[in-house]
Order: sequence, then structure tokens, then C-alpha cells
Amino acid sequence: MFGHLKSEDFANLMESSEVPAQWRQHLDSCHRCRTTLESLSAVHDEIISVDEDIPEPDWATFRSSVRDQLFARSVQREASRRRWARWVMRPSAVWALSVMLAVAIPTGAVFWHLQKDHNTESIGLETPRTTSPTELIEAGTDKMVFDDLMQLTESEQEQLHHLLQSAQKGSSHHNEKAP
Amino acid sequence: MVSGNQDADAQLVERYLAGDATAFDEMMIRHQRRIYRLCYRFVENHEDAMDLAQDVFIKAFEHLENFRRESSFKTWLCQIALNHCSNHVKRHSQDFVELNEYTGSVRASAQSQLEDREEREQFRRLLQRLPLKQKAILELRINEQLSYEEIAKIFGRSVSTIKASVFFATEKLRKLVKDASKGPEKA
Repeated sequence: MFGHLKSEDFANLMESSEVPAQWRQHLDSCHRCRTTLESLSAVHDEIISVDEDIPEPDWATFRSSVRDQLFARSVQREASRRRWARWVMRPSAVWALSVMLAVAIPTGAVFWHLQKDHNTESIGLETPRTTSPTELIEAGTDKMVFDDLMQLTESEQEQLHHLLQSAQKGSSHHNEKAP
Repeated sequence: MVSGNQDADAQLVERYLAGDATAFDEMMIRHQRRIYRLCYRFVENHEDAMDLAQDVFIKAFEHLENFRRESSFKTWLCQIALNHCSNHVKRHSQDFVELNEYTGSVRASAQSQLEDREEREQFRRLLQRLPLKQKAILELRINEQLSYEEIAKIFGRSVSTIKASVFFATEKLRKLVKDASKGPEKA
């Protein structure tokens, strides 16, 4: 059994028309290896012969068909890419709008709040009052005159009384003269 | 010569990627016959072989940018063709069972040419009985005359493994032929 051809050797030998000298000696003496190689070579030749029946297509048509399909697919890909781009663009517009609103609403609210605070400060002390400013001024004047009157001495009160009487007489005299 | 072919293919690939439309036809002319015949051997009919071969070229041209120059363009194309055909055969395995059915009937005919054709037809059916990988290796080596190194690259195996596969596939086919020739006698 020693020295028989290996599978690799058979593969090499069945393809070559000439058997190298190193194997020639063995094949001459070994019937088993020789018959195996002969049968394998016959099958090998048969494999080549069956290839003859394969029909030859019209190669120009074949090429144009491949070209057309490639073109059609590239157009299809481009169309789907555009569709995809449009799909991406739409949400991006929505996103942009959302972001704008998200920024604009709080900013507007803050500005409005600040403006409101400023107005409140400008009208300051007046706001809490329930009475009108005119009433307050009048009440203040009355209060001041009354206080002044209370602080007058008796002689001063006497003088004031005379002054008021003479003023009253003067005004009644003036009223009589001008009917 | 092989290196020259590889260089020519590499240049054509570059030209095609650069937008040279004429490179397309040149590449097709160089490889269309090999790819079509490779596909034909898997499906054994012209229409399917045409469709498969066209698909192979479409795939190749669409993914040409992914072609890494580690192997030749021819090897890369054969690899695509084998994968595509294997998938096709697996998907349609049910259809192929009938096709591969060897009846063993040998019709006597006066016309020797027709007999030869019949024999070749029967032999082709037997060839279809081989496992896909073994059949592909055998076809690539014997009919497409790819080097063992190229086939080894396609299948990601060593050269010695591919050589052994060629031997075992041929041996298996020999046995199938032997059994087939015994069949009618038994009947």
C-alpha cells in the first residue's frame, strides 16, 4: 500500500496529458492506481464534453439587458432616496417649528412677566390706595388747617376770628353791591 | 498572462468607477460567457441561466466599490455567481429533485449523434447529483480552468483541500456513472 498515489496526485495527473517520471514507475507497477487514474481521466474528459451542449446566448442582448436593469435600478434607488429625503425633510420642518415654539413661548412669557413688573413699579404706592388722590389732598389740607387752628393761642384765635368776621362782612357787602 | 488579465480587469474596474461607460461593455465581454456557463451548469436551462447570469453582473456592478483588490475580478465574479446559483438551487431544490432523477433508461437510437447527446444529457444529470460545493469546484477547475489558487480563494480553503475535493468529486461521479450503467442491466 505504501507509495500509492494520493488524492492530490490524482487531481494533478488526470488533468495532465503527460505523467511525470516519478509516478510513471509506480503506475506501471500498481494496477489499482493505474485503473483509478484511467477511470478518473475518463470522467474528467466526459465533464469537458458535456459543456459542448451549453447554448450560446445573444451576447449583445444579454449586455443591453444587464445595462437596462442597472439603469432601472439606479433610477429606482434615486427615487427612493428622494422619497427618503422628503420624509426626512418633513419631520425636520416639524422639529424646527417645535423648537421655535419651545423657545418663543417661554421667552415671550418671561418678557411679558418682566414688563408687568416694570409697570407695577412705575405706579408704585398709588395702587394699594382705594381713595382718589384728590380726596386725599383735600383731606390732608383740612387736617392741616384744623391742626393749625388747634395750635393757635387765645389772642391769635381772637385775631383770626375778627379777620374771618371782617372777611365775611366784606364778602356780604360785595355780594349786596353786585346783585 | 494571468497577471496581465488581472491588470486589465483592475484597469477596467477603475475606469468604470471613474464613470467610463465603455468599460462596462469591455468587462462584460471578458466575463459574460464564463458566468453564463457557470450558471447554466447549475440550472441546466437557458432562461434561468440567463436570468442568473444577469443578476450576477447586476450585483457585481452595483457593489463594484466594495471590490477589494485582494483577489482578481474574475475570482470575485465567480464567487458572486456561485453564491447566487447556490442560493437559487437551494430555494428551488424541490424543482431540481425531478430534474436530477436519473431514470437509468437508455433509449436505443439509430442516430449516433443523438445517442451521444443523450449520454451527455444523462451524464449532466449525474453531475447534478454531486453536492453543490463539489460540483462547483469541479466545474470551476475543469471547465472554467481556474487555477487551484483562485478556487482556493473563492472557497476560503487551502489548495491541497481543493485538489482533494476535485479528486473526491470525480471519484464520486465515476461511481455514479458506474451505478447508472449497472442500473439498466439490473432492470
